[in-house]
Amino acid sequence: MPEVMGAERDRWHARRLTRLRSVVRMMDIAVEVKGLTREYRHKTALNGVDLSIATGETVGILGSNGAGKSTLVETIAGLRRPSAGSVRVFGLDPWRDRARVRGALGVQLQEAQLHSDLTVAENIRLHRSFYREGERPEELMEKLGLVASARVRAQHLSGGQAQRLSVAVALVGRPRIVILDELTTGLDPEGRRDIWRVIELMQEREATVLLVSHSMDEVERLCDRVVMLDRGRVAIEGTPADLVTRTGSENLEDAFLRVRERTAERRAS
Amino acid sequence: MTAVTGHDIPRAARPGARAWGQLILAEMRSVMRDTAGLIIPIGMPSLLLITQGAVASQEILPGMDGRSVYEIYIMPLMLVMVVALVGVVNMPSFLAAYRRQGLLKRLAATPANPSMVLVAQVVTSLAQTLVGVALALGISAAMFGVVGPASLAATVGVFGLVCASMYALGMVVAAISPTPNAAVAIGLASFFGVAAVGGMFGGAQNLPGPVAEFGRWLPYGAGVEAMQHAWIGEAIPWQPIAALAAAVVVGTVCAISLFRWSR
Repeated sequence: MPEVMGAERDRWHARRLTRLRSVVRMMDIAVEVKGLTREYRHKTALNGVDLSIATGETVGILGSNGAGKSTLVETIAGLRRPSAGSVRVFGLDPWRDRARVRGALGVQLQEAQLHSDLTVAENIRLHRSFYREGERPEELMEKLGLVASARVRAQHLSGGQAQRLSVAVALVGRPRIVILDELTTGLDPEGRRDIWRVIELMQEREATVLLVSHSMDEVERLCDRVVMLDRGRVAIEGTPADLVTRTGSENLEDAFLRVRERTAERRAS
Repeated sequence: MTAVTGHDIPRAARPGARAWGQLILAEMRSVMRDTAGLIIPIGMPSLLLITQGAVASQEILPGMDGRSVYEIYIMPLMLVMVVALVGVVNMPSFLAAYRRQGLLKRLAATPANPSMVLVAQVVTSLAQTLVGVALALGISAAMFGVVGPASLAATVGVFGLVCASMYALGMVVAAISPTPNAAVAIGLASFFGVAAVGGMFGGAQNLPGPVAEFGRWLPYGAGVEAMQHAWIGEAIPWQPIAALAAAVVVGTVCAISLFRWSR
């Protein structure tokens, strides 16, 4: 459990309870991945991944660099075609039915850029125009602490501000599924809190969230369930507390390292 | 758990006029804020026409209402060349740069579609080219006493078709080029390919028969032929018009179907 105090802890519990109730009530599968394999020329990035994510659930994807995390979320987003296996988003193939699926997705990618010559406000308005319904750009900028830089061109933003803008653009279409790759990398503690609060608002609206992260406190705070990838395979999955218990660890970071060690030992033997 | 079906997601409306307008506006703003990109489309037409006009404008052709060699032969050819260079070589490199930067990958995760991205590029580039051509024609009129086309409507119509065909070819280059360097290389190869067989180096009449006939059916040769006929007010043969129209259709379809969001 993240170190949160008093009233904030109560709110955190209330939110968690609301979300769990909604998950139990709906029991719908938002994302279903079966036997997903993705091969590049000299590398197998994903090797038979199975994963089900319920509507309204927040799932953290953990793994070392090169474990296949970004490939997994990009394939779910319909940006990469599976070499084998299948991906379904609300029952639709995100590669073949991409026009339909993308209207329901909000994606923040690790390496993708925005129009560098456009200002923060112009970038957000441009992306808002792609969706029939969505957030008001001004409100989103306020929630994400971007009001002061609304007229600053994207190329002049600091790393943290650019990250906030990237998240704003992902959320502006009020997506039903949010994919966030390295959500708070490069952000200061205040920036992380701002973005976490916005994600929690999305969760209250029962959005499904896939969160790729190296930040264990972020995963513990935001995620209902964690999937650890190792060399393109699912090494272990469960709730954060469950993983800590099952691995006999003290915290999630410790659990992550133990799982890595065990899978390395298994490979060696 | 029970799997839900796609009916749960409303059929996404294609991005509407507002999205197209915003994307075109975004491209226009980017161009205006990074003015280095304006040099070729706006500066090159004037440079080409001025350097050719000094001598050729002195040779007045008999029976052409005072029009010179410059006006009858060189201007139509230069206008086609300018549109070809900007449309086939210059414009695709910008889209390829977006692809390399990951900007297209970001757009790929939204309901934006390839047509929107390509059209925004073409509209922005075409606006610059038209400014450049208008400037060049103004300078030519002032410096070399250009009379102007005998049939303005036909000339404007043919020029529009030439622009559409060259940009259609450019869209194919833009759709497939992984990097700006590749876009320039593929664009230059395409430009010199169609221009060479279209008579850019010494006139189509000096090419071997089959090559000249082949070049007549490609956008450059067809464009020059149609422009020259339109400029002097003669009836335009159907072949170059058909060739230009076919290039527009084939190029556009190929560009949309071959479009790649990332490298």
